[in-house]
Amino acid sequence: MDCEKFDRIVLDLLYGELDELTEAAARRHIEHCARCKGVSSGLRATREVGALTLVDPPDSLELGILEAERRMNAALPLGKRLGRAVSILAVYAMRPQLAMAALLLLMIGSSLFFLRSRTSAEDSVLVTERGVAETEAEHVAILAPPDRRVTEAAAPLASAVPKAAAKGEAVAMRGREEQAKAAEVAPAPAEAALDQAAPGAADAEAPAGSEPVDSMEAATAAFQGGRYVEAQRRFEEIASRGGADAPTAALQAVEALRRQRGCPAAAPRYDDVHSRYPGTSVGSEAAWQAGDCYRALGELTHARQSLEALLEVPEYRSRAQTALQELSAREEQVASAARKAKAAAPPAAAAAPAPAKPNATVDAAH
Amino acid sequence: MAAVRGDASDEVLMVRYQRGDRDAFALLVKRYNKQVYNFVLRQLRTPALCEDVTQEVFMRLVQNAADFKHEARFSTWLYAIARNLCIDQLRRLQHRRHPSLDQPLGGDDDGRTLGDSVSAQHPTANAERSAVGSEVQASILRAVDALPEDQREVFLLREIADLPFKDIAEITGASENTVKSRMRYALDRLKQALCEFEEYARALR
Repeated sequence: MDCEKFDRIVLDLLYGELDELTEAAARRHIEHCARCKGVSSGLRATREVGALTLVDPPDSLELGILEAERRMNAALPLGKRLGRAVSILAVYAMRPQLAMAALLLLMIGSSLFFLRSRTSAEDSVLVTERGVAETEAEHVAILAPPDRRVTEAAAPLASAVPKAAAKGEAVAMRGREEQAKAAEVAPAPAEAALDQAAPGAADAEAPAGSEPVDSMEAATAAFQGGRYVEAQRRFEEIASRGGADAPTAALQAVEALRRQRGCPAAAPRYDDVHSRYPGTSVGSEAAWQAGDCYRALGELTHARQSLEALLEVPEYRSRAQTALQELSAREEQVASAARKAKAAAPPAAAAAPAPAKPNATVDAAH
Repeated sequence: MAAVRGDASDEVLMVRYQRGDRDAFALLVKRYNKQVYNFVLRQLRTPALCEDVTQEVFMRLVQNAADFKHEARFSTWLYAIARNLCIDQLRRLQHRRHPSLDQPLGGDDDGRTLGDSVSAQHPTANAERSAVGSEVQASILRAVDALPEDQREVFLLREIADLPFKDIAEITGASENTVKSRMRYALDRLKQALCEFEEYARALR
């Protein structure tokens, strides 16, 4: 350090405003420079001897200030008070911590928004589909009719179809690959014969299993377009997935089956739907349709069972009562006809073949 | 309201006062009223106005409390207010004649000035003056009062307010080097005023 630089910092040295390194350098310079030592000691002595002695203010000063402050705050106009409050709030609002917190909240909020917007109806359907663990059991429950009814309703054709065939029908609904597998298990199901009988309708169907998820709209469109095989498949897919549309889809699937193969195949399926959804509008409608089918088939006992189940449903009660009355009348007619035939028959008729079943008579009428 | 701790910094006390803590303000007044009073006294050299101006300094502080930022240094802010008020008062005094500290009282006071009279009214100052030497103190006061206004201002802010040169530069609006030059001149003048005293000469050795 030279004298020129020392002159520039001598006041800082005097008042202790130098950093340690510069101060040490200045002190080293003083040790070797008489001129700068004289300057420094002269200023130091002047400061020490010439220090101002502070006089005490009057005692009233402090009290006066505090009193004036109290009066000033009390007399502050409302606008100024509000301004002060706003200024105080602004001091807090402008703090970086608050800005960071606001930014963090904004980021979290926007993240939640994007996360929520990513979920869609299709995603939830997929989850539901995988969550249903009884797909196989449902198919069997829907499509495997009781042996008794199959035997009685479908007569010779249905009697030829064992339980395995019904299961084969259920498997056939899942897609082309599983259809082939089912065909190996049940090579001659009744429906296969029916499909062959109506090749035009089968050709019009879309390839089975090409779409992983069927919608009600597609199934309804197929039904309305007369593509009953496709409609039945789609409705059964929807019914097997479960969910809100499952009952309606199950009923519609039977409707599609009825359009293909008539009441012999549909009647027991109506019963299944009725038993699966008891107490619902779909179940009641299924019971009504089952009664209708059984009446058409001449199976008056089963028809009566289905209709009697509707007597407790307000919406179907009057219709069911009317239908039951008609049923009773028909039963009476059948019984009287049987009695007449028995009375009119000659003794030799005992060797003759048995009269035709009432069913046959009814079928002929229809 | 939480009790105000005596060792809290000025800035913390001021922020508490902004939030409505009047005890914090009372503590600030206790800390600074003597220094501000002496600064005003040496600047105006008119004792009759000194108390009122000091009170006005603190009232300006109250009025502008909301403007104080925690990052600022409280003492710098306070002395900036005090300096501005002193400048206003000095301008007014140029038009109105108030008795000055250097003005002889006249009558039977044997040439005593008003400054001597004011000092005599304060026992503490009087006792300290006795210890150092009343003649030396009188010479010091005369020398300080005789300083040019800009040099006296810097000298008082440095010696009474104990503000660093950087803050003084901020208050006065001058550069730091200018402030140091003014301080150097002020000390040189003071040195000349004290040269005649033997005690001072011993201190130089």
